[in-house]
Amino acid sequence: MAADAGTQVTELTAEDHACLTFGEAEELFDLTAAFVRDGLAAGLKVVWVSDAGPGPGIAELGRRGVEVQAAIGTGQMTAAGSEGRLVSGQAFRADAAVGWLTGELASSRQQGFPGLRVAVDMSWALRPVAGIEELPRFEEGIAAALSGSTASVLCQYDRERFDPVTLASVAGFHTRSVAAATYHADELLRICRQYAPPGIRIAGELDYQAAGPLALALAEAVRLDGDVTVNMARLAFTDARCTLMVADAARTIASSFRRVTLRCLPEVAAGFARLGLGDVPGIALVTADGR
Amino acid sequence: MAGDRESRPGGPDDRGAVQARSVSLEQGFDAGSLYALRSAVAAHAATAGLSPHRVYDVTAVAHELAANAVLHGAGHGRLRLWTRDGSLYCQVSDDGPAEPGDRAAEPAGDPVSWPVVHGHGLWVAGQVADEFRISRGPAGTTTMARFAINAGTGR
Repeated sequence: MAADAGTQVTELTAEDHACLTFGEAEELFDLTAAFVRDGLAAGLKVVWVSDAGPGPGIAELGRRGVEVQAAIGTGQMTAAGSEGRLVSGQAFRADAAVGWLTGELASSRQQGFPGLRVAVDMSWALRPVAGIEELPRFEEGIAAALSGSTASVLCQYDRERFDPVTLASVAGFHTRSVAAATYHADELLRICRQYAPPGIRIAGELDYQAAGPLALALAEAVRLDGDVTVNMARLAFTDARCTLMVADAARTIASSFRRVTLRCLPEVAAGFARLGLGDVPGIALVTADGR
Repeated sequence: MAGDRESRPGGPDDRGAVQARSVSLEQGFDAGSLYALRSAVAAHAATAGLSPHRVYDVTAVAHELAANAVLHGAGHGRLRLWTRDGSLYCQVSDDGPAEPGDRAAEPAGDPVSWPVVHGHGLWVAGQVADEFRISRGPAGTTTMARFAINAGTGR
């Protein structure tokens, strides 16, 4: 089945074999956190295979409000590296990797979980690994293993580092294509949805010329249920007009008794403070060190 | 707190007087080059010895003044940056009157200078600069912001 574009990570269900392409670590961890969070909330077994090993990733998910340590403690979640699961030393065999996945499926059933969610960071495939030409066969094997199951798999590809030919060769085996909903993206600015914690993320340099997509993003943030985070930790500059727009949205959200967190660099935070946002109940101005 | 004052045409902040000073940056701009302008201003402000926080303030004010010229003037202009007597000066002027079809309408009775719109951007400029002036003359409208170097306020 061909991948369909525009699927939100929060829409994934059983049997989905999704391809997540990400452009930066922040996006990867945000979408992974949402995938893990929703799986844990549904009572599913969650397995996360990250290339760098579980340590840094667990901290990143924790920072996004996902209780990873607790889930690992109860056995509901496993966080592990790719070694011994997808690769063995410098060798990759598609059959062995699919065998690991089917083993996890069987194991989760035996443990009494109603389903399984697996997030797989595919960065290991960027290294010089023997047998990498079997990658499409691995993706095909996952698709077959998921058919009729209660499991879903989220394969994570760095779209900046994987070549288009490789991405195209595996795309056809995925049922869904997942990326952050994006309101604006160019060399200077990126405005996209943030999934964990819910809100929007703005990175780069923002000025009045992006007021249109910013207004759309803020309008959707205002309509979200619950608390909202505007993650501007990687926003190096914002002009007065856009500062005012974010401040107005924050006041609107706070007026409906929801908490708003504005996470930004100290220089950007000073702009919000000048507008009096530091004293508004329900609005938290959190400074981030993006340097 | 910085003042938001308008000086008379021919006053000390006119462009002709500025050109006699040592200008560290002189750069034209339009809507498509505001990012490059910000980048250049930040680099020169940092070289002048301002703290990272004040470099951001200078950059923000330069952007607001330039954006004002773009949005409400001819759509383009020039920025000059120089240091003198322990301060960094940032001056923005437009390149002339708006051409027919440019986005901002000229105010009645003042066809030469672009209308400085006292919106949030200029409010910010007045808030963060140590001094902020607007002067109108036959050659157009000029805004100037001064930032003390090593002011010790940590702003």
